[in-house]
Amino acid sequence: MIPMPPRWMIFTGAVAALALAIPPFVIARVRATPDPNRPVHIFFDMDFQPKFKTQAENPLFADGRAQRPEVQGVVAQGETRLDAHLYEGVSGGEWATTLPAGLTLNEQFLLRGQERYNIFCAVCHGYAGFGDGAVNKRAMELMSNADGPVQGTAWVQAKSLHDPLVREHSVGLLYNIVTNGIRNMAGYGAQIDLEDRWAIAAYVQALQLSQNATIQDVPPELRDKLPKNVAQGDGAAAGDGAAATQTTTASADTTEVK
Amino acid sequence: MSRFLFPRWSNLLLPTIIVAGAVAPLYAIFFVAYGLSPKTLEVGYQPQQPVPFSHALHAGELGMDCRYCHTSVEKAAHASVPPTQTCMNCHTQVRPESPKLAKVKESYETGLPVEWVRVHKLPDFAYFDHSAHVNRGVGCVSCHGRIDTMEVVYQSSPLSMGWCLDCHRDPVDKLRPAGTITNLAFDPVTELSESERLSLKDKFHIAPSEDCSTCHR
Repeated sequence: MIPMPPRWMIFTGAVAALALAIPPFVIARVRATPDPNRPVHIFFDMDFQPKFKTQAENPLFADGRAQRPEVQGVVAQGETRLDAHLYEGVSGGEWATTLPAGLTLNEQFLLRGQERYNIFCAVCHGYAGFGDGAVNKRAMELMSNADGPVQGTAWVQAKSLHDPLVREHSVGLLYNIVTNGIRNMAGYGAQIDLEDRWAIAAYVQALQLSQNATIQDVPPELRDKLPKNVAQGDGAAAGDGAAATQTTTASADTTEVK
Repeated sequence: MSRFLFPRWSNLLLPTIIVAGAVAPLYAIFFVAYGLSPKTLEVGYQPQQPVPFSHALHAGELGMDCRYCHTSVEKAAHASVPPTQTCMNCHTQVRPESPKLAKVKESYETGLPVEWVRVHKLPDFAYFDHSAHVNRGVGCVSCHGRIDTMEVVYQSSPLSMGWCLDCHRDPVDKLRPAGTITNLAFDPVTELSESERLSLKDKFHIAPSEDCSTCHR
């Protein structure tokens, strides 16, 4: 038989070996749980340099912003915005009925408008423009709560873009609404680029046309390609906002903007 | 004074020391590789934000596009945190009296920004351009994870140099069509075939650089 070391020595050895097993469990737990006390910087290297990145903090200024807001009254180069057609949607004192010079209406332009519409507008107005977007639905639920509107919610049903009134809007007015807002709708001038706002205005008109189209709007050679129920129906396309039919219709109407 | 004699059990010490000496370096390597990896030290950073904004509600349930708020992501290196005005597009009318929105309202009235805490941080010597990635088939989810399921956003990728290079050396599995960039549920590996992903690589002219100066300049 092998002579054994004293008990206390075996015990200490066993405890030490078990203690070595603890760190892996701790690490596994750290990996599995999010925590505000990370990242842990062991070596700082040059991780933190005395410079200011976009939207960073700078304690030197009272408002703490490293990016300085524009000084009041200053007009930056290229921001005079004198072209009323391009910047306000107004041409000759009236809402413009055409796109401003430099923008061409083509399929690509409308597809860009569709993409931007789906990002910024569809949340309230819905993908097909019936005013049934997800945010609108949720806000309407908050309004129709049994104990009254939740936490001061005062939502007005988002406008259907197929409302007869909205269908009358010219492309310049639509552009202006996108830019500056109307009634309860906030302006999106700061959120969406200039050309994209024109693209959205043009797409809204394509969308209106697509949801109120008759068979006469479809070029004869393309009529065979329509699904049967649409071609034989009363002419008005189904209001389910199928993006595929919109795109076909939109591209067929590229020459016409009110 | 009697002579000191090693007890007979001390013969065991030698093999014990040999075994411990062999195991100790392995343990140390394991500890450093597992415990000090960015996957442990960086991933999971979840700071408390001044306003309990839920991405799970806005981006998930309501299906708002990432770009509704982070508007500069396709045009600039920096994906902008939205100004308070963006919140107030809806919240002047939706739950304006909610105590959770108090700081947003205060910011709206004073013009001072809400002090959001940045979650995804790169070291100051590394440069990253969002627009270069999202315009060429790399989706938000590849780096940020399923933000649309997070109540409070946390960092889900290591954002380490090795992790960047993994993708720069073999980007094919991370490529998706332009229309699905902000679709966080879209998984190009299951929804596209290998050849479709390879054709995306050609279409976007993707030849990711591994030069030092690409990111350290």
